[in-house]
Amino acid sequence: MNFRDSSSWVFRALWMQRTRTLLTIVGFSIGIAAMVVLSALGEGLRVFVLNEFTQFGSHIIAVNPGKTETFGVGGLLNTTRPLSLNDATAISQLPNVEEVVPLVMGNAKVKHNQRARYTDVAGVGGAADKAWNLEIAQGRFLPADDLQRARALVVLGSKVKTELFGGVNPVGRFVRIGSECYRVIGVVAPKGEFLGTDLDDMVFIPAGKGMQLFNRQSLMEIDIFFNPRSTSEAMADKISHLLIERHGFEDFTLITQDQVLITMDNILSILTFAGTGLGAISLLVGAVGITTILMITVTERTAEVGLLRALGGTTQTVRMLFLGEALVLGLIGGICGVLLVAFLLLLIYLFVPGLPVALSPTIVLGALGISMVIGLLAGSQPAASAAKMTPIDALRAE
Amino acid sequence: MRLSDQFSFNRQIFLRHKVRTGLLLLAVAIGVASVILLTSLGEGARGYMDREFSALGNRILIVLPGRKETTGGGPPIYGAAPRDLTLEDANALGRIPGVLAVAPIIAGTTTVAHSSRSREVITLGSSDKFFGVRQLAVGAGRILSSRSRSEPLAVCVLGIKVKRELFGSSRALGEWVRVGDRRMRVIGVLEERGESLGLDMRDMLLIPVRTAEQLFDSPGLFRILLDIAPSADSDKIQEKILKLIRSRHDGEEDVTVISQDSMLAAFDNILATLTMAIAAISSISLLVAGILIMNISLISVSQRRQEIGLLKAIGASSRQIKQLFIGESLLLISMGSALGIGFAFPLQPPNWAVPAALVVAFGTGLMFSIMPAKRAAALDPVLALRGLQQ
Repeated sequence: MNFRDSSSWVFRALWMQRTRTLLTIVGFSIGIAAMVVLSALGEGLRVFVLNEFTQFGSHIIAVNPGKTETFGVGGLLNTTRPLSLNDATAISQLPNVEEVVPLVMGNAKVKHNQRARYTDVAGVGGAADKAWNLEIAQGRFLPADDLQRARALVVLGSKVKTELFGGVNPVGRFVRIGSECYRVIGVVAPKGEFLGTDLDDMVFIPAGKGMQLFNRQSLMEIDIFFNPRSTSEAMADKISHLLIERHGFEDFTLITQDQVLITMDNILSILTFAGTGLGAISLLVGAVGITTILMITVTERTAEVGLLRALGGTTQTVRMLFLGEALVLGLIGGICGVLLVAFLLLLIYLFVPGLPVALSPTIVLGALGISMVIGLLAGSQPAASAAKMTPIDALRAE
Repeated sequence: MRLSDQFSFNRQIFLRHKVRTGLLLLAVAIGVASVILLTSLGEGARGYMDREFSALGNRILIVLPGRKETTGGGPPIYGAAPRDLTLEDANALGRIPGVLAVAPIIAGTTTVAHSSRSREVITLGSSDKFFGVRQLAVGAGRILSSRSRSEPLAVCVLGIKVKRELFGSSRALGEWVRVGDRRMRVIGVLEERGESLGLDMRDMLLIPVRTAEQLFDSPGLFRILLDIAPSADSDKIQEKILKLIRSRHDGEEDVTVISQDSMLAAFDNILATLTMAIAAISSISLLVAGILIMNISLISVSQRRQEIGLLKAIGASSRQIKQLFIGESLLLISMGSALGIGFAFPLQPPNWAVPAALVVAFGTGLMFSIMPAKRAAALDPVLALRGLQQ
């Protein structure tokens, strides 16, 4: 039996039972769609988060005081092993280091005339705007002063500026933070949130001033932005050596952006995987549907199968015919499922534009591949039972 | 037609097509079991949170330094503000009526060493009250004494992991360890207890609050935990706390008060939404099963054309025919659901999960069996008896 004969057999068989075929395909395509939508959502989330993290570039190393494995939290606490501004200065003199941003965070009242606002205060270095892609709306960012002798200057986040000054140009005016007066030298353009921290509801002051304000002996973090010519391992190695030389032993934690990304990627991949698994349950039920329907078809067509065998068709031919039917059901189901997903994603895009969804070609091709494989698996049992029939018995069934 | 007639009619077809019936039951069972299983997972996570909080059995208010103007956002977690929250503030808060206990906390990281081994750990400076508020107990030795509230005693309590890392299996009680640049005597080892609210208490060191003040050279408290009486009004106490802090801080309200209840409620909300979403997604599989049932019913109707013709010829009404086929689907659903529930029930699903799964299962079953049943009822008796298409 050549390919044209078999395919016309398969399609005629499906066409003769249109309702049945349609319903089977609908069920299966809902299953495929459930799986694809969930994996697209998971993938979208993954891409979104990774973008959020890589927006500052990927050549970053963070140093936190204290040698613990607690990601990030260590820096917020007190420590008996401080990271000093001198450490930051020393690191900035290493080759291939582009920017070094010392960081100390806290919360304080910022006051201008009668208006006051409690807000986050970031003690940073002069290069923070370049490092964090902050755009300056008015004035300029903190100057690259000597870290040890920083002046009392402040750059306001856009929200703080609006709350304290309204429409007035604040550059050159003075605000009171804690008990000291700071001169406003710039306003940062609206930036939005980063990982739950509103970067607009924040003011930036020199790190040295920040340590005084919060009475801290240690920086919370030093962010190092290095030249792409160096690898993060080589860079981490150099920083580590330098700090051990300065401190006597390893009393700090280095986290490279690569490590953070790998960790995030792992977590998010697991999430995507779980979502896909959740959708796969519906697909499983859809597959059971294909099996059931093919079982029925095989029984109904016993006589035809008998005739085919009597005319010289091998068991192999019979098996291939029914497998072909399952494959076509799976493939058409998959295509319908992907179309359904495209429609759903379009709806999501129209009504919830913020929701990150990504329908990559890999997912689409993967979905089609999976539908065919599942179709074949679902059809294997009915095909086997059709192939098992002896021609005599099958013909007698008529 | 009696109900038993209906059952025997349906039973015939189930027995005639054992494989088909088995597969249908499997489809429904997968759907029902997945709804129940996944909701029990979500509910389990919620129950875990609830237990973590309420195993403490007390109501806790947390005071942290700093304040944010935008409410609803995250609390100021940095623990740094120009005006420190001091031990004196904590003591004053303890005098508010309705507050049972106050545990001030200074937190930091430091190195703890014994002979040649050392380990970098999170160190909490607090008092005997902390053990009560967080319901911690020592497995060996004793907790910090009441003198630790006001005196810089050179003593410490080790988390079980710190003890193992530094001392192995040998005895730690009474030994001296080096904490930062100080020497302290080990007076207790915490009992084995896993993570508590995200803090791994096993890998921690507890020292008196005054000692921590000296060790970290900082009078600023990281947090104050207040244990409030079960009968007290949490909102009123929060107001009193803010008022007291204002009067002590020159009229500035520069702290944030979080109640454990509100934290719990927020988590609870998130998890409940998540559970609902998962339940909705897994009920898609029931929808697919429903479509399969419809498909099979249609086939079943066309296969039993002659029987239906006969039934109609001897006087069965259209309603009765409909009832026969809808009954068949519902019977399938019931058996499939029973299978699914039987499979998933040992996991102690939430109370609403089983009824919800059943409602969805029967809903889809009913919805998808109406069309085939109508088709059966509309058959012309004469043509159907002859086995002809209409």
